[in-house]
Amino acid sequence: MPPAPPSSPGQPVLRWQARARTIEEIERELRRIWAEPVLTTTVDGVEERHVAARTSVMNLVVVARRPELGERAAATIAALTGRHPSRTIIVTALDPDGPAWLDARIEAVCILPREDAPEMCSEFIYLRAGGEAGRRLGAVVTPLLIHDLPVTVWWPGNPPFATLPFEEATELADRLVVDGSAWSGDGLDRLAALARLAERDRPTIFDFAYVRQSRWREAIAAAFDLPALRPFVRGLRRVSVSYASRDPLGRPGTTNVVKPVYHVAWLASRLAERVERPLRPLDTGPGSRPARSAPEPEPGAPVGPGYGARLRSDGHPVDVVVRPIWSSAPDGTTLRLELLAERRGSELRVEVTGEAEAVHVRAWQDGIPVLDRFFRGPRRGEVDLLAEAIETPGRDRIAVETLRTAGRLLGTGAGA
Amino acid sequence: MDEPPVRRRRATPEGAAGDADEAAARTTDEPAAGTTDGATSAAATPTPGAIDTAAPPRVPADRDAPRTIRELRLARLAARNRRPRTTPATENPLRTGLRLERVPDPAVFVLFGATGDLAHRKVFPALAQLWRCNLLPGAFRVVAVARRPYTDETFRAEVERTLEANSRVPLEPDERREVLERIEYLAGDFDDSGTFDRLSARLDEIDRRHGTGGNRLYYLATQPSAFPLVVAQLGRAGLDHERHEGGWRRIVIEKPFGRDLSSAIRLNREVGKVFRETQVYRIDHYLGKETVRNLLVFRFGNGIFEPIWNRRYVDHVQITVAESIGIENRGRFYEETGASRDILQNHLMQLLALVAMEPPASFEADALRDEKVKVVRAVNPFTPERVANDVVRGQYGPGWVAGMAVPGYRAEPGVDPESETETFIAVRLEVDTWRWSGVPFYLRSGKRLPKRATEIAIQFREVPHRLFREGNVDPEPNLLAMRIQPDEGILLRFGAKVPGLGLDIRAVTMDFSYGASFSVDAPDAYETLILDALLGDASLFTRADEVEAAWQIVTPIIEAWIDGPPPAFPNYAAGTWGPPEAEALIARDGRRWRRL
Repeated sequence: MPPAPPSSPGQPVLRWQARARTIEEIERELRRIWAEPVLTTTVDGVEERHVAARTSVMNLVVVARRPELGERAAATIAALTGRHPSRTIIVTALDPDGPAWLDARIEAVCILPREDAPEMCSEFIYLRAGGEAGRRLGAVVTPLLIHDLPVTVWWPGNPPFATLPFEEATELADRLVVDGSAWSGDGLDRLAALARLAERDRPTIFDFAYVRQSRWREAIAAAFDLPALRPFVRGLRRVSVSYASRDPLGRPGTTNVVKPVYHVAWLASRLAERVERPLRPLDTGPGSRPARSAPEPEPGAPVGPGYGARLRSDGHPVDVVVRPIWSSAPDGTTLRLELLAERRGSELRVEVTGEAEAVHVRAWQDGIPVLDRFFRGPRRGEVDLLAEAIETPGRDRIAVETLRTAGRLLGTGAGA
Repeated sequence: MDEPPVRRRRATPEGAAGDADEAAARTTDEPAAGTTDGATSAAATPTPGAIDTAAPPRVPADRDAPRTIRELRLARLAARNRRPRTTPATENPLRTGLRLERVPDPAVFVLFGATGDLAHRKVFPALAQLWRCNLLPGAFRVVAVARRPYTDETFRAEVERTLEANSRVPLEPDERREVLERIEYLAGDFDDSGTFDRLSARLDEIDRRHGTGGNRLYYLATQPSAFPLVVAQLGRAGLDHERHEGGWRRIVIEKPFGRDLSSAIRLNREVGKVFRETQVYRIDHYLGKETVRNLLVFRFGNGIFEPIWNRRYVDHVQITVAESIGIENRGRFYEETGASRDILQNHLMQLLALVAMEPPASFEADALRDEKVKVVRAVNPFTPERVANDVVRGQYGPGWVAGMAVPGYRAEPGVDPESETETFIAVRLEVDTWRWSGVPFYLRSGKRLPKRATEIAIQFREVPHRLFREGNVDPEPNLLAMRIQPDEGILLRFGAKVPGLGLDIRAVTMDFSYGASFSVDAPDAYETLILDALLGDASLFTRADEVEAAWQIVTPIIEAWIDGPPPAFPNYAAGTWGPPEAEALIARDGRRWRRL
């Protein structure tokens, strides 16, 4: 090991690095990290021990089924400077049909929180597994976890729900981190599978797609904060969500709709609405023509009928439309949410739109503007979301209920 | 729950079966009222159909109102069935679960004393951090009021320099611009009523232009002597009125809240003439500190500590607020204040209250503050004799701190060379409650002590029976220490056997450090408190009666000093742990101060 340079506050320093080819070797190297005196720093030629302490937060396991996903995840974690989990294991499965092998790089990265504080260290294990070893996630990862600390499994990309590696990963996870808006297709099959997983008590699910929209939920809730508008929340008649699509034909299945569906599921779960007719692609009616050779649609133009569902609330039907709009925004981004509510012959229309760095909420009661507010909230990056996934403890009851309701909305969850 | 109870709103006139079903459906809503309801109403009703849940219940004709449990239950059930089954209209169901990320209403933040040290060191940086974290609404404006003749531009330039120097996390250029463009400056004297008329007009205009909805937070960062004046002027200009069509008005007052009991009562009365107590937020920034707030979580969020948190197990409690700095060019201010007013009356009393309070029934502002004030009121009163026995004051002379020679207090600029102001205070007191009777609390605070440290230490009693007599050393009793600053954490000391053939016991510590478990930066106390004030959460602010109760303890001490002989100051050298009398105060009881 090269002598470790003295660290300055806030700058992560690599204090230890080793390679190993078996689980036993990895375990031995991990033990050595804490026994070796390399975690001393030398200042002006005088050896001075910075009492190094391992953070005791959690284990983070990243399952990357493709090397590039593993690299991106590693970069994201590296950007979490100063809030590293205690031990991070990034598993990349390679060459599934070849012989079984393991190759691990083990690192200890330390950071000095302040000049007068002890160094805090965390360990990284970059594990590449070939052949059968890459599929036996439980057997590879379990011995490497720090006991008694919670385990978060982050599965970037498309998790293979209902397969052995995925089942093993959820088995060992206290928290599962996914990004529903990155799933292929419309993402609804995976959302339904995630909703089934949410029926269990463990793991807690943290979906970037849901968390990203917190500012929207704040804005929607704010529309019913005014005492005069509050009763309308029980008189909801129509929910319409539009999302960005770059499929000129707006065909169902081409654009990920997990984010807009979360909005509907959240509203339905909060308002205790029952699903009367699950979410299904709407028929292309006689009015809309299949634009095979049509020119590129105008920005903001609807490009297909989208999806429809019907909920029932307090005996009244609530119609739901999730509709694709031609837009330059990333595919599947929620563009606008409209609510229509009635009460004693009066009508309330709420329109929530996403703008560059804010969510804009407006409301009209019988055509008269009654609310106009901005909620600042810049688009949140993966680093920020991962930090939240790591730092927020416990189970977000509302997220669980939303996910379960999403399952019912898709007609696949329990009680559908 | 697949079938949530709120969905069921129609009345079920089918009789007992429907009745039981309804009651069962309600149990999730009201477990206390309905748990046995569903089971008994079906079983114990011999004639189904006799009860029409939609109609008033049948009661014997000779009585006009239901009286027995059964009649009352049926009457209530019928009444419930007539009412629609929805959450009360006062609640917004979409709000559930969003509380954590709640953003305050659009508002104007009116900062009086905006050119002062506090405004620049704490308030503006805190506002900028809140903005950076998206915790302020888009429609948010700051009106800075002070005497000096700045324009909006020159004042913004000033704040920009401040933000560069004092930001906890540096701001992006965009964020800085967004913060700065929300600041306006209004120059004027506080004794000129024209200032407040102009302020009123400006605020109305801001409401119109920026949609701030009439919500205003007045922040008094002025000299304390200006508090009553500003408050009275606000009242005269009608800026305190919470209008019917919405728009709250709140006022934040910085410490000191008075100089003694009578001036505190007077100040509270002046403020009370204009603002209701629910509109008043008195800042003691200690309460906004992360670790102080954690004290509540530590005590009431854990099951294992509360059972031993009483006189049966606790030997005594020590609370230390030590500063290594001197008075930092604030000689004139400190001469009139001293450690008793600067620290004892507020910070130490708050820490004492949090350590000794009973569990509040809820985590609401008044429930919490009710319990805190009970502790302060239960402190046994200081008579002149008790002051002589149980209070030690000190003033530092020249000495060495952190390897540097420092002058004595009387040689500091702005200080009377004959000064009798105390820079150190140590107090022994008791909290006369069922829980704490007979347990001494030792409080100390001082300037120019060897290091900066704030700590609460709970010293537990010794083991009742010594089993391990053959050891050379008596086992040290257990200790639980909560470090508030620096290096926040919690430490538990217990005895362990020294490895070897004998049975020697040595004290070891189990040390929890915040840095190791939570590597996130904690927000500054002012960020927490300003956000709370904007959200209308008064839990971490001091109520008028708390302030007065604390003065009731401190005022007799100061009075006794005024009536007594002059002190032999200076009586401790800078860089030591206070005068020898402070050691004697605790040694008298056979105890000693913790080495920090």
